[in-house]
Amino acid sequence: MKKILSFALAATMLLATAACGSDTKPSESKAPSESQTGQTETGTETEGSKDASVSGDGLTIEGEIENGKFLETKKITVEVYDRGNDGGSHPEDNFFTDYIKEGVLRDHNIEVTFVPVPRWTEVEQLNNLLAANNAPDICLTYDYSTIKTYAQMGGVTNLKDDIENYKDALPNLWGWLGENNIYWDKDPETGDLWAIEGKLANNTRINTFVRQDWLDTLGMEAPNSTEEFEKMLVAFRDNADKLLGDEADKMIPFSISFDIGWRADHILASFVDPEISTRERFVRGFDDRRFLYPGVEEGVELLNKWYNDNLIWKDFALYGAGDTTEDNLMKAGYVGAFMHNWDYPYRNADDSINNNLKRLVGEDAGYVSIDPFKNSKGEPMKFLPGPVDRKIFFPATNDEVLASLLYLDWITKFENREFLQIGVPDINHKVHEDGAIENIPATGDHIMNSPLNIDYTMTINGLDLGDEDLTTRSIAFSYPGVKAEVIADAYENSTRGGIIGQNINVGDITSETGMGPALSEKRDVVLNQAVVAKPEDFKQVFDAGMQDYLASGGQAIMDERAEKWEAMYGDATELPEQ
Amino acid sequence: MATNSLKAKSSGAGFKNYMRRYWVLYAMLLLPIIYFFIFKYIPFLYIQIAFKDYKIGMSPFAMPWAKNKGMFYFQQAFRNRDFRFALRNTIMLNGLDLLVGFPAPIILAIILNEIKCNAFKRVTQTIAYLPHFLSWIIISGLALQVFAPTTGLVNIALNAMGYSSKPFLNNPHNWVVIYVLLGVWQSVGWNTIIYLAAITGINTELYEAAEVDGAGRLRKIWHITLPGLRPTIVVLLILSLGNMLGIDFARPFSLQNNLVKSVSNVLSTFVYTNGIRGLQISMTTAVGLFQSVVNVIFLSIANFIAKRLGENGIW
Repeated sequence: MKKILSFALAATMLLATAACGSDTKPSESKAPSESQTGQTETGTETEGSKDASVSGDGLTIEGEIENGKFLETKKITVEVYDRGNDGGSHPEDNFFTDYIKEGVLRDHNIEVTFVPVPRWTEVEQLNNLLAANNAPDICLTYDYSTIKTYAQMGGVTNLKDDIENYKDALPNLWGWLGENNIYWDKDPETGDLWAIEGKLANNTRINTFVRQDWLDTLGMEAPNSTEEFEKMLVAFRDNADKLLGDEADKMIPFSISFDIGWRADHILASFVDPEISTRERFVRGFDDRRFLYPGVEEGVELLNKWYNDNLIWKDFALYGAGDTTEDNLMKAGYVGAFMHNWDYPYRNADDSINNNLKRLVGEDAGYVSIDPFKNSKGEPMKFLPGPVDRKIFFPATNDEVLASLLYLDWITKFENREFLQIGVPDINHKVHEDGAIENIPATGDHIMNSPLNIDYTMTINGLDLGDEDLTTRSIAFSYPGVKAEVIADAYENSTRGGIIGQNINVGDITSETGMGPALSEKRDVVLNQAVVAKPEDFKQVFDAGMQDYLASGGQAIMDERAEKWEAMYGDATELPEQ
Repeated sequence: MATNSLKAKSSGAGFKNYMRRYWVLYAMLLLPIIYFFIFKYIPFLYIQIAFKDYKIGMSPFAMPWAKNKGMFYFQQAFRNRDFRFALRNTIMLNGLDLLVGFPAPIILAIILNEIKCNAFKRVTQTIAYLPHFLSWIIISGLALQVFAPTTGLVNIALNAMGYSSKPFLNNPHNWVVIYVLLGVWQSVGWNTIIYLAAITGINTELYEAAEVDGAGRLRKIWHITLPGLRPTIVVLLILSLGNMLGIDFARPFSLQNNLVKSVSNVLSTFVYTNGIRGLQISMTTAVGLFQSVVNVIFLSIANFIAKRLGENGIW
């Protein structure tokens, strides 16, 4: 008896680890009936909104809200990214959150609490919060497939009715985002709407950067083709003594990270067939780094050649997302060229890569953007995203849908978002004679934890001052310590020859559910291994990796995308003219 | 009849007395019992997620059953290539750990035991314990500093001596070696504690008698120390066999990189990627359950064999 009992105990303890290991929680979980009533409640709310009226002062619903102000104070929680930047303030409690809290309370009688979520592990953190029924009322993420997965589990509020019914009460939100962004993710069959898309105001993405001072030292012109770029890298490598002196062995002509799809984007894009059809781009478009596009393999092969010619940083694959080792190498002045976000070396004000270079290496040191890569037609070609940015959604636990929508409307209102973007005059910015706004790095209370306070202005990414010309002139001033022309060039280089992404919404693609992280990881593995392979093994490594990617779900996704495209658009290879 | 009730009464009174005297001890026991109940037994209810379609925010009792009589997610896991690789890698890494990491503390404990200079022994012990208190995140950072291809200490030394850099961390074969050796480095000192304690328990008269019989140092180790350690070794061996499919998350996750994923993808990282990041909760719960069931089977077999060989076993 004793034996059986002790065996049972030992066995149960081991079994218990199964449940623990898979992130289930012993905490009380809401009964389904509860969450369902939550949904019908929002349903009745929309019914009730038939009595609603909107005047110049805002929405009025008898007994609930008058002129946009709730009669009883509503409480909502809002997600905010925590970037953990050096010397930053608390992202949930600082000068700008106070501005928002006071304003929303004043205008709508809504009390706002911010919930910080670490920027680089946002998806993991959101998963945990949602599973614990503890997610903020207003959530945002860059990853729509995550929202979709939550929605399929009944974890997201369907905005289809509310966003339409309260349209008149949300003039700023509708005015700024328009049907295009609000209905971007609408299901073409059911009309379900799980998220609305923030707007990308400046469609810039990636740039190639090079050390201008090194080019000058070597008496070279900025490269204007892939071949010239390679020659430049070779020159950096061969002249390491001249460029780095004692530290010649630290020379890194071209640096990339494990995320090759992003960090070599312009090179890879230049190998893609310029005539690629919209259908082809859609069918092969699950991967956001366009791993499956035809031609990418040749681009990777070039990187493989460079790696084996000692032109690429040898240790790139060992450091993960968010690691600062590579940035530090750039700041220390060992890196000749790299490719990254369009304004990467100018970001973070005083702590930017360029400003560090100036301090550590010399006044002349610094990166400038170039645009050397051309496609088979000899033209620059880049794939730019559609005008969408972060995806905003309300978890099913959100009982204050109207209040949350009014919050979004408030944050989108021009005066409010303009203040958040440029901050306080003479502290966060100064105004030039021609009206252009120049950014000043603030410290202490008024510090912005993210450029242009992007983390608070969730419906906009990129500067918008209401006037396009003024905006463009001001963008050039938004990087302290960097000449306006340098930024203007970077802007041009990043967008030249851009193919803007279109909204192709053919409904649910079930084979994509939950596959995002696993396939992205696999893509990185394939690209990393292919780049570091011996040249004679390249083909075999790349093909084996691609086979693995396709067999692990990539092929199923392509097939389903092709099928859904055909069901929607038939044989057409382009979207019908609108 | 009468005697029976009398007996019951007296034993009842005995129990009362007993509790009056020892209630404090039982009250202290309550805390760990509550812990096990909340964190180890209540989660049992959630095992059913492996057989159901997971819905966020819904009680597991209300979730609909998965296809194929609830077995759909097990089939899905076994169809998943990465799961099969993860299973293979887990068994491989754990097997190597057992092969190399299990004997290491026994050997170290015996060596320490033979040291006569007490001060030296203490210092060695303390230094050997230290890595146990470092988290794997920190160890992986150290490993990068020491073994990275261009900036690593070892490779810089190799280069200075005229050799070319060795891909310690970026070649799957080398990575496995580093993985196992770092594991030994981290845990060997700590794991000697239990063996040293067992050695202290060996009757010193045995050694004296052996000396009288003319036994040398190695003879004494072979005929007295090792047999004295045997019960401890067997229990620990059974326990490690019982964790054959269980694998720590932090160690493979923090040491891995994209160039060695073919060997560093193990069950715990698979569950992280597909469950916590990819939200395939049901499938990964199924994986967790599978792991536990296999572990229980391993544990019972190891225990059975140990008993057959005349050892005490663990139950």
